Amino acid sequence: MDDRLRETLSAMMDDEADELAVRRLLASPERDQVSTQWQRWQRLRDLMHDNASGAGAAVDVSRAVRRQLSGASPADSASEAVEQQGPLRPRWRWSATALVALSVLIGFGMGAGWDAANVEQVTRAAAAPTPGHPSRQEVPQVALQGLDHQQWETLSRYLLEHAQHNSVGAGRGAVGYARLASVSGHGQ
Amino acid sequence: MNVDSDNRPEATHDSQTDLQLVRKVQHGDRGAFDLLVIKYQARVASIIGRYLNDHQDVRDLTQETFIKAFRAIDRFRGDSAFYTWIYRIAVNTAKNHLEFSGRRPQATADVQDAENFDTGGRLRSQDSPERLLQRDQVQSALQDAIGALPEELRSAFLLREYDGLSYEEIAQILECPIGTVRSRIFRARDAVERQLGPILDAH
Repeated sequence: MDDRLRETLSAMMDDEADELAVRRLLASPERDQVSTQWQRWQRLRDLMHDNASGAGAAVDVSRAVRRQLSGASPADSASEAVEQQGPLRPRWRWSATALVALSVLIGFGMGAGWDAANVEQVTRAAAAPTPGHPSRQEVPQVALQGLDHQQWETLSRYLLEHAQHNSVGAGRGAVGYARLASVSGHGQ
Repeated sequence: MNVDSDNRPEATHDSQTDLQLVRKVQHGDRGAFDLLVIKYQARVASIIGRYLNDHQDVRDLTQETFIKAFRAIDRFRGDSAFYTWIYRIAVNTAKNHLEFSGRRPQATADVQDAENFDTGGRLRSQDSPERLLQRDQVQSALQDAIGALPEELRSAFLLREYDGLSYEEIAQILECPIGTVRSRIFRARDAVERQLGPILDAH
């Protein structure tokens, strides 16, 4: 960054730069250097006015804000702000929260939609003719319609065993297992 | 309020530079917003620090304040100074955070405080002895750097920084053209910055 631009930046510090000079400065390809120089002079001013203490002194969120505004996720920006300064918060906190939420969803998802009435509704709705999409009608017929009693029992037993193994093995499917067991009980 | 903050350049009047930068942001120049963030982040963090003790919360809410400001900047018409506007956002952000988390503020600052805001004050009284010693050392280094400046640079620089005079007023006092004042202040600032070097890096 040449001295002419730096002098303009200095004048901006003092609120004495004209519009054209500011425009020229902001159009400079050396924007990073402009920001760095600006930041150092702001710090100098804070020191001169004895304002470089307290909560504000250690805070630099400029990079994090820049990243967030340029489309990075707020989480990325937040973690960058943390990296720049100070004590760290445990990063696993959000990961653990996400894992718990995912587990609940999986458990609920395994339990939901297995009710016999629901199966019937779904197959009926799927089998209903859809104008302009004749191929859709064929899929449910292949899937679950037309099962006789023995086939339905085999399928139920298989699903029950699968859910039981899953709940024991991973500890996350207990809800699904309970729901499925109760459905199977209705069916029998 | 301390005397320094009274005379802090741009502390009590609308800043032409801020308005220029805001207009650029409103026309899509994000780099201009970056300069506003750098300029005000310490002071915004300080005012949020009046409500919260936790440094990470202060940092997060400072960032949130600027993101909110950026998203609302089209609505900034310049009726108030930019710093008043952003302080208002900061105060509301801090209050909302406390309300949401069901806490009471550990101290208070109102929007009106932005008009006469002293970034030291209450926070300074909480500094540790080590921090106070460090500040004394920094101030000593700063005074040395200023003292080492040639007389004509030092005069212009101090009249600007400590007395808050405009370039035109300084030119009248020093009986020289405005362009000379501008150049002297720049060279003084540059020299002090170089002299302090690592200290500025550490802050």
